[in-house]
Amino acid sequence: MIARLWRHRSLALTLTRRQYELRYRQSLVGLVWAVAAPLATLGVATLLFHKVLRVGTDGAPYSLFALSALVPWGFFASSLTFGVQSITQGGVLVTRFAFPRAVLPLSMIGTAFIDLIISFGLFVAFVYLAGMRVPLSGLWALPLLFLETVLVVAVVLLASALNVFARDVKLFVPIAVQLMLFVTPVMYSLESVPESLRPWFKLNPMAGLVESFRQVLVFGSAPDFSLLLPTILITVVVFGLAIWYFDAAEPRFADVI
Amino acid sequence: MEIVVAQDVVKTYRTGVGRARVREMIPPPFDRALQRVFREWWLRDTFNALDGLSLGVPKGSAIGLVGHNGAGKTTLLKLIAGVTAPTSGAVMTSGRVAALLDVTAGFHPELTGRENLYVAAGMYGLDRRDVLARMDRILDFTELGELIETPVKRYSAGMWARLGFGMVSAIDADLLLIDEVLAVGDSEFQRKCVEWLDGYRQRGGTLLFVSHNLGLVRHMTDRVVWLDHGVILADGPTNQVLGEYARATERRRDQANERDQHSARKLMRVTGLDRWGRGGVRVAEADVRQTAATGRSLIVTMKYEASSTREALFSVGFIDESGFEVGSSLSPHFQLESDVGAVCWEIQQLPLRAGIYYPVMSILSPQGDILDRWKLERAVVLDVNGGPDVRAELGPAEFRGSWIGTP
Repeated sequence: MIARLWRHRSLALTLTRRQYELRYRQSLVGLVWAVAAPLATLGVATLLFHKVLRVGTDGAPYSLFALSALVPWGFFASSLTFGVQSITQGGVLVTRFAFPRAVLPLSMIGTAFIDLIISFGLFVAFVYLAGMRVPLSGLWALPLLFLETVLVVAVVLLASALNVFARDVKLFVPIAVQLMLFVTPVMYSLESVPESLRPWFKLNPMAGLVESFRQVLVFGSAPDFSLLLPTILITVVVFGLAIWYFDAAEPRFADVI
Repeated sequence: MEIVVAQDVVKTYRTGVGRARVREMIPPPFDRALQRVFREWWLRDTFNALDGLSLGVPKGSAIGLVGHNGAGKTTLLKLIAGVTAPTSGAVMTSGRVAALLDVTAGFHPELTGRENLYVAAGMYGLDRRDVLARMDRILDFTELGELIETPVKRYSAGMWARLGFGMVSAIDADLLLIDEVLAVGDSEFQRKCVEWLDGYRQRGGTLLFVSHNLGLVRHMTDRVVWLDHGVILADGPTNQVLGEYARATERRRDQANERDQHSARKLMRVTGLDRWGRGGVRVAEADVRQTAATGRSLIVTMKYEASSTREALFSVGFIDESGFEVGSSLSPHFQLESDVGAVCWEIQQLPLRAGIYYPVMSILSPQGDILDRWKLERAVVLDVNGGPDVRAELGPAEFRGSWIGTP
């Protein structure tokens, strides 16, 4: 599967480009939307969690506190919401060409990755506006990003393949993503969760990730590996499952779409 | 060397929508286990589009696939293209396989022609540079000009076909699969495609060709495989199999006509292109033998009904399966003595080559106006009479003449 994908890497890049261009084609302000989405979320989060609920940020400015987690969360959320339909929406291609179908969800993740880079730029801008610097520990963000990408690839491959057979998946995913945002410490900290509930929160693979991103990008400390352990374990299991299932189900996609 | 080998291929599809297909979600090996235990439930609402088919395609050959709708032609092409996998059996191909499975060719309506070409090339493992290197050739072939920068949603069906053909012409395939695509587009472009395909074959390319236009199949291929309900009914030289197929098609049509005649709502098709004219005299009945042979005699009788006109000319002509008007025979002036009557036309040596022809009966006024013209739906099938390969010969008409050699 990996070898076939590698041969079609230029296809994946072409599709990523096209999808990204298509998203903003015939729109008036185009790329502004890539920045507007995280900004709007940040605005609402600041109002609700900072001003109304007054959650603790451990001394960091709330905008940086929230944005450092919103950026990786946005990558996860948009990969999943757009990626789940990638194969069914690419039906025209699936029923006419023989290519590794995984290119479709992967190129969707690719477009979400472009958004990630843009919103990370936004985060860096906020850091300097606050008169601060990104700490050296920020380099930890790269291995964290790798871990998140593997998790995202696994979940999106699985969801997009299952969605071919049961379109319930595409109806379920947006709801799941929305609910997950509430139980993931993106706009609040894991610290503010009552001690008795915290072990349950930590089972969520995204909890350890966004908490770690925040630690390395804002607080200047190395990630806490005990927090990341559930994420790593779940990622490995889901990735194995996703590769196996996608490979087994792929030959039938064209018949069912 | 065989470029395609299909062995005992079975392809099962599920009918219906929605929940029935959820069964497809279960991956191997669990699906096989379930099938063993709950055989009846598992196989409910399924049909075999291909039912144990084996076929070898030698490199450099051109094979036509014919058969009625639902015979499995498109399924076979999809399996060879690798778009889908057989339920059991195996399909093996070597080299680069390019497919035009329908007119839309997998293009995205919002993308421009050029962008679509990049995507399509990527599907075959080519990259941007490969397309750029071939762009002039593609533009030259498709004659799309500036339109290549326009989203293909604004293209006409003919332009889609041009772009699709431009795409396959550029990717240097070893095996080309074409499913009823040449039917779209104007005759000029069709001719261009056929010429390109001729060249492709001369360069050693292999072709699998599906079309209901038997004239094109005859021109393009040297072997024809006739599929019916997912199995091969006949496989052999083009002329032989097409002759058998055409006769079977006519038989089917006759049977259908007979059923129609028994039904109460019998309607004669006298509208559109099948029948027109100013009236006064009309063809009431025509009698043409349904099989004939090149160089042998053929008799056509025509019964007429006259209401006002007392003077007319009769004509019997033939149209071939691609719609080409081959020729006709015009009678001298006839004085019509009574309201009903008949005329008879006999030709001693029919100058038509093996093929399928539709007789056209006409009655003309002495001034040359068409009073009634009727294109019969029943075809005359001409047999192959064991002569030399007519593929090498020009056109449907066979001229009789004498040849003299001088040193």
